[in-house]
Amino acid sequence: MLGPDHIRSRLKEALRHCPAGSDADIYLTASVQALTRFANNRIHQNVAHQDAVAHVRVATGFRQGRSATNNLSAEGLASAVRQAAEYARLMPEDPDFPGLPEPSGVQSVSAYDEATAVCAADRRADVVGTVCRRAADLALEAAGFCRTGLTEFAVASTRGADAYHVGTFAGLLITARGDDSAGWSKGGGWRLDNIDSEALTDEAISKAVKGRNPRDLEPGEYPVVLEHYAVDDMLEALSFYGMGAHMVQDGRSWMNGVLGEHVMSPLVHISDNGLDAAGWPMPFDAEGVAKQRVDIVSDGVASGPVHNTYTGAKEGKASTGHQRGATGGPTATNLFMRPGDQTTEELIASVDRGLYITRFYYTRLAHNRGCVMTGMTRDGTFLIEGGELTVPVKNLRFTQSYVDALTGCRALSSAAHLNLNEAGVAMHVPAALLDSWRFTGQTV
Amino acid sequence: MDPLIATALDTARKRGAQYADIRLVSNREQRIVVRNGVVETMTADESVGLGIRALYDGAWGFASSRELTNAAADAAAGQAVQIARASARVNGAGLTVSDLLGAPVVSKGNYATPIDIDPFNVPIEDKLSLLFAADEEMGKVPQVSARMGNVVFIREERTFANTEGALVTQTIHEAGGGIQATAVGNGETQRRSYPQSHGRQQGCAGWEYVVAMDLPGHARRIAGEAAELLTADPCPVGIDTDLIIDSSQLALQIHESCGHAVELDRALGDEAAFAGTSFLTPDLLDSFEYGSDQVNITADSTSATGLGTFGWDDEGLPAQASDIIRRGRFVGYLMSRESASRLDQVSNGCMRASSWNRIPLIRMTNVSLESGGWTLDDLIADTDDGIFLETNRSWSIDDRRYNFQFGTEVGREIKNGKLGRLLRNCTYTGITPDFWRSCDAVCGPQHWQLWGTPRCGKGQPGQIAHTSHGASPSRFRKVRVGVLR
Repeated sequence: MLGPDHIRSRLKEALRHCPAGSDADIYLTASVQALTRFANNRIHQNVAHQDAVAHVRVATGFRQGRSATNNLSAEGLASAVRQAAEYARLMPEDPDFPGLPEPSGVQSVSAYDEATAVCAADRRADVVGTVCRRAADLALEAAGFCRTGLTEFAVASTRGADAYHVGTFAGLLITARGDDSAGWSKGGGWRLDNIDSEALTDEAISKAVKGRNPRDLEPGEYPVVLEHYAVDDMLEALSFYGMGAHMVQDGRSWMNGVLGEHVMSPLVHISDNGLDAAGWPMPFDAEGVAKQRVDIVSDGVASGPVHNTYTGAKEGKASTGHQRGATGGPTATNLFMRPGDQTTEELIASVDRGLYITRFYYTRLAHNRGCVMTGMTRDGTFLIEGGELTVPVKNLRFTQSYVDALTGCRALSSAAHLNLNEAGVAMHVPAALLDSWRFTGQTV
Repeated sequence: MDPLIATALDTARKRGAQYADIRLVSNREQRIVVRNGVVETMTADESVGLGIRALYDGAWGFASSRELTNAAADAAAGQAVQIARASARVNGAGLTVSDLLGAPVVSKGNYATPIDIDPFNVPIEDKLSLLFAADEEMGKVPQVSARMGNVVFIREERTFANTEGALVTQTIHEAGGGIQATAVGNGETQRRSYPQSHGRQQGCAGWEYVVAMDLPGHARRIAGEAAELLTADPCPVGIDTDLIIDSSQLALQIHESCGHAVELDRALGDEAAFAGTSFLTPDLLDSFEYGSDQVNITADSTSATGLGTFGWDDEGLPAQASDIIRRGRFVGYLMSRESASRLDQVSNGCMRASSWNRIPLIRMTNVSLESGGWTLDDLIADTDDGIFLETNRSWSIDDRRYNFQFGTEVGREIKNGKLGRLLRNCTYTGITPDFWRSCDAVCGPQHWQLWGTPRCGKGQPGQIAHTSHGASPSRFRKVRVGVLR
C-alpha cells in the first residue's frame, strides 16, 4: 500500500510540471491483489500482483491530452505530465470540452479492513482446501478462486481537487462439478470475514448434486425465478448498454425514446450510490468529483443516466461523479436494486410451471433497443412445477430484452446480495420473479 | 545475463523452487479515438514490470513487481516460492520437473516484428488527419448519429529466462485501426464497421498496416449502409437456410467455436469456474469428426501480421505451426508444457501472458481456416437460396463451446445465385460440430484474410489476449437464422 501521504506528495510534485496557462489532473489507482485459484480439487494457479498507474490529463483551453505511466518516480510522473501537455498542444479544439472540474465536497466512506488487506497465502489455501475436500467427499470437482487485496484511488488537480480513498476486497467463487451437473456460488465484499465459506460451499455442492441427470426442455417462453446472480447480470448489462449519458447522447442506449416513461414494473427501482457501505463504496470518480446518488429507474420509470463533467456540460447539468476510468464515458458501477417482500421460496411457490435460474453466462448485446441480450443459463437450472423445484434441465440459450423482462417483474425477494466482480463493479440485488423469459435454444 | 534476472532465478532456487522463470516487460501504447468530429482520447501509456513463476513440490506460485531493481526481483522471487509452498498444501502434485513439464526449454535468441514504418515515429498530425478525414466522410450521411474512428499502436519489449537456461528477447509491434458509424431512425438503431467490428482491425505490423486500410476511402460506404439498414427488411425468422459467411465473421466463429474449444487447459478442467470447459475432451483426439472434409484448421504463430505471431511463447517455446483440425478430424490442442505432458505430448508453444503482472495461460495464437478453391462469385452463383452475412455484431457460446449464437451487422439475401435485398438484425445459431459438418465450400486464397481479435478475455485475474484468425468466405448448409425479434 502506498498510503495517502505518499501519493499526495507525489501527485502534488508532478502537477508542478503542468505548463503555465494549462490545467492538469492526475487519477491514480494502485492495487495489490492475491488470488488463489483452484480446479480439479487442487490449487493450480496462485498469484500475487500489484501495480500503480497514474493517468495524467492536461487541459489547454479547449484541448486535452492524456498519458499514463506506472513509473511513479518523480521523473516518471514529470515525463507523463510533459507527454500529456504535448498531446494537448497537438490536439484540435473541442468546443464542448468544459475544462477540468472544480473541487467538490468528497465525503469519506470506510471500506478498508486490515485483515483482508494483509491476508496471507496460507489463509486462502486453508479456505480453498476445505472447499476441495468437501467436494471430493461427494465425488465432485471443485473449481474457483479465493482472492483478497486492496485498491487505492486518488485524484489531484491544479484546480484543487485532492481526493483519496482505499478499499479492500475479498471474494470466494465456487463451481462444483459432477459428470453432468454443476453448482455455483459466489460471495464478495470488502471484508473477508463477512464471506461465509461454509454456506457458499453448501450452496454450490447442493446444486451440483441436485442437478444430476438433467432433462431436455423445449425452448419457449417460461416464467422464471432468477437468483441474485442472474439479476446481477441484468443490471450489469443495463448499466453498460445504456445508463451512461454518452450512450443516450449518441442514441445507443436502451433509454433512448423512453426517458420519463414507465418501462419496467413499478416494483423495479434502481439507483447508483457510491457511498453506501453495503456495496463496494467509492466516494468520487476518476475526475475527483463527488459521487451523487442517482435514481436511474424510479418505480419503473426510466429517470435518467449518470454523467461525467463532459456529458453533463453538454446538457447544462452537473456531473453526477460517474467517470469510471481515465477514458470512456460515465458508468454506473455501484448499483442497488430495491428488494421486495418475499422469500425466494415464496417466489418459487407462486410459479405453476417455470424455470429457476442460478446464473447467466456469456451474455452479449444482440440489439440495443430494449437491451436485447443473448446468453446461456449455467450451473444450476431447474424446472419449477406446482410451486416446487422438481427436476434439473440442460442449459438453455435465451434471446431476451432485459427491459421487457423487467416490465413483467411480479415480485422480488426481501434478501438482497452484493455481487462484486473482479473489475470493481458492485451490484446489490435481490432474486426476482419475472412473468416471462424467452428461451431460444438448448445445448447438448 | 541481466543481473536482475540472475538475482531472481538464484533467489527462487535458494528458496527451494524446482523450477522458476522470469519475464521482464516494457509496454508502450499510443491510442487515438475521434468521436463525432472531436478527439475523445489521445493518450500515451507505458507500463514496465517483472513477473516470476516458481514451482515448489509440483505446485505453482507467482509474484510480480513494477520496480525493475535487484531488490524488487529478489523480493518477488521469494514471494513466488512462498505462494507455491501454500499451493502445495492443497493436493500438491508432488512431481518432478520433468514429470510435470517435460523436456527442459533452453531457447536463446532475439526476435522483432518485421515492420516498414515505426508508428511511434509517425507524426500525430498524420494520424489525426487520417481519422478526421474518415469522420468527415461518415458525417455526410444525415441519419448517422454517432461516428467513431480509432488507431492503436503498441511496442512491447519482452525478455524471458528460466532456470533451465533459456534466455530470449523480443520486440513486438502492433498496429490497428477502424471506423464505425451508427445510424438512428425509423425506430431502429443500426451500426456498420470497417474493416471489422469490435473497434478495429489489428495486426503485428507497422504504420503501413493502418494506411493500407484506407479508412477514409470506406467511411462514406459504411455510413450509407448503416443508414440503409434502418429501413431494410428484417432477417427471416426461425428458418433453416444456406449461409455464406464472410471472412471476418468466420474469423470470430473460429475463435469461439474452435480456438477456445481446443485449449487444453479448458479440456482438462482448469478453467471450469470461469471460461468453462470443452466438449473436445482428450478421448476424442484423433478420432472426432469435428467438421466436414472441407475444414482444415491450424494454429500458426509464424503467420505474417498475426497478433499471435512471436519468436517464442512465454514458456520459451519457439513459434510454430500445428494442425488442429485436418480434413474435419480433431487432431490437436493448443498446449502448455504442463498440459502437454499430461497427454504425453510436447507443447506447441501457446502460453501467453497479457502483462508482466499476469501468469502465462494457454491462449490462441493465429488459429485459422485454410483456404479452399472457390471464388466468391462462383460460390454465390452456386447458391439457390440463402443469406450472405458480413461483420460480427454479437456473439455468445456456451461454457462447453457447443451452442452458439452470432449476429451480424448486415445480411444480403441470395436468390437463384445472385445477391439481393439487404437484411437487418441477422442472427444464426447452432451446435458447433453440426455447424462445421455442414460446411461444403471454402473460398480460395485470394479471399483469405487474417483478422485480429485484440480483446480475448480469459483467466482470473482477468487477462486480455491478442489473437488472430484467418479465413475465406465459406458456405454452410441449412443453418437456423432469425432468432432475434
